Amino acid sequence: MIAAPVGLSPGGYVPKAYAERTAPKTPVAEFEAAKSGDVWQIRLRWACAEPHRELGDDVDRFIDAAAVLAPTVADAPMMTMGAPGKALEGALWRADRTGLIGVRAEGLGTVERGDAPEGWGAKAEWKAGRWSLDFELPGWSVLDARRRLAFAIWQGAEGGRGGLKSVSPGWIEIGT
Amino acid sequence: MASQNPTTRQIAMVLDLNKCIGCQTCTIACKKLWNTDTGTGYAYWNNVETLPGKGYPKDWVESGGRTPEGEVKAGRVPNLDDEYGRAWNFNHEAVRKRSGEGKEKPWLRPDGAPRWGANWDEDRGAGDYPQENHYFYLPRLCNHCTHPACLDACPRSAIEKRDEDGIVLVDQDRCHGYRFCVEACPYKKVYFDPKRQVSGKCIFCLPRIEEGVAPACARQCPGRLRFVGYLDDEAGPIWKLVNRYKVALPLHPEFELGPNVFYVPPMSPPKLDEKGRPTGEPRIPTEYLVGLFGKRVHEVLATLESEREKRRQGEPSELMDLLIAYDWNQNFALGPREREVL
Ligand code: SF4
Ligand code: SF4
Repeated sequence: MIAAPVGLSPGGYVPKAYAERTAPKTPVAEFEAAKSGDVWQIRLRWACAEPHRELGDDVDRFIDAAAVLAPTVADAPMMTMGAPGKALEGALWRADRTGLIGVRAEGLGTVERGDAPEGWGAKAEWKAGRWSLDFELPGWSVLDARRRLAFAIWQGAEGGRGGLKSVSPGWIEIGT
Repeated sequence: MASQNPTTRQIAMVLDLNKCIGCQTCTIACKKLWNTDTGTGYAYWNNVETLPGKGYPKDWVESGGRTPEGEVKAGRVPNLDDEYGRAWNFNHEAVRKRSGEGKEKPWLRPDGAPRWGANWDEDRGAGDYPQENHYFYLPRLCNHCTHPACLDACPRSAIEKRDEDGIVLVDQDRCHGYRFCVEACPYKKVYFDPKRQVSGKCIFCLPRIEEGVAPACARQCPGRLRFVGYLDDEAGPIWKLVNRYKVALPLHPEFELGPNVFYVPPMSPPKLDEKGRPTGEPRIPTEYLVGLFGKRVHEVLATLESEREKRRQGEPSELMDLLIAYDWNQNFALGPREREVL
């Protein structure tokens, strides 16, 4: 994994205030992707020394989260979260929620959150310093068509949110 | 510096710190109107702090967002326990119940063990009593800056500055609760609601402004020390105080955000010497005020002194009449829909 480049983050603050955040907070993540019937089963594992599962009423606490994304068109750029007319879509898991959140973006700062497609879900467990996250994503036609994925992981204990995340270094081809 | 273009019009507020009595009516008027959600117990869009003091959130001036030269630097989201202070209730019930004859009456205390609060260091001030002790009140709200650091910080463009009046608003439908705005605002005037997981800030009582009514903090102020109007209205109080008489200054102009809330700095009685005689030196050190409002403090205090002297001599002073607010309606100039203050 690499640190998402903060220099790309929209606005004048994040690129300057976090200019030194160049090392990923999640350097390594393991993943497996398999298809069973029409269900994509995607497993993601990463080290997390201090899980952040809820905010409570704290205002300076951030939540662990992870997203799996696929391009809606073949040449959608991954590092900029897509581009106008070249959307990415996928699912966002947050440690403080039960269901998944559906996401779609056409560029940095444009992520729209909504209901995840019917039947999409994930099981997450934190044990011995690691998160294990199993997505079950039935009928994800974009992934059927494009066969490439990207991941993002936010470590709450490290102030992860927005562009302060670790991402796969590019699209990961998952074969046919 | 953030690159927001100035807007067509800019609404603004002037507060005369010589008249603030620290009653917190403004704080409560605002709080009851806009911040009663469970996640906003700690949030005061308007607060009144005692200076010299650490303020709210504690030591906000040092919480970052801008260097003293106005450059972006990493700020912090203040901590609820140590910097904002967790909202608490008092043991009113216990005090009431055990107030009968022969029973020891308990002290009124907070439930829990708060470590800071919005008014924690009230009336402490600084300086040795009785020679030079001093304090004054500083009411604070979002400055609806010309170059808002909060807007500049939001990667989602969820913060806008309205062209028609320069009011800075958070679009909570777009906000994803990242809190970069909270970090970046050096005045710490954006608040995160952990229950709804969105940020919120002063809206300058926008629905009231649109109806020609001044914000609640201004209309409820018994000190009549708040003036509200448009910066470009030469007949209005803001232009007079900021541009004609030049007695209203922005707080921490060195942050370079172009605040649109201005303050008439406080004058103060003289220090006493060891025999209790006035020294002629103001109790509130002028350099302290310069640290808050910039170098122009010197000329403003001189203007206030000379206008005050005019009145002492029985001469007219439009500035003093305006600041005294004989006619409260003159404190507000909000255009065609303006309502008379009764
Ligand atoms: S005072 Fe802070 S919250 Fe208000 S406009 Fe300026 S930067 Fe934004
Ligand atoms: S209501 Fe007026 S006098 Fe009272 S604290 Fe607020 S600004 Fe000061």
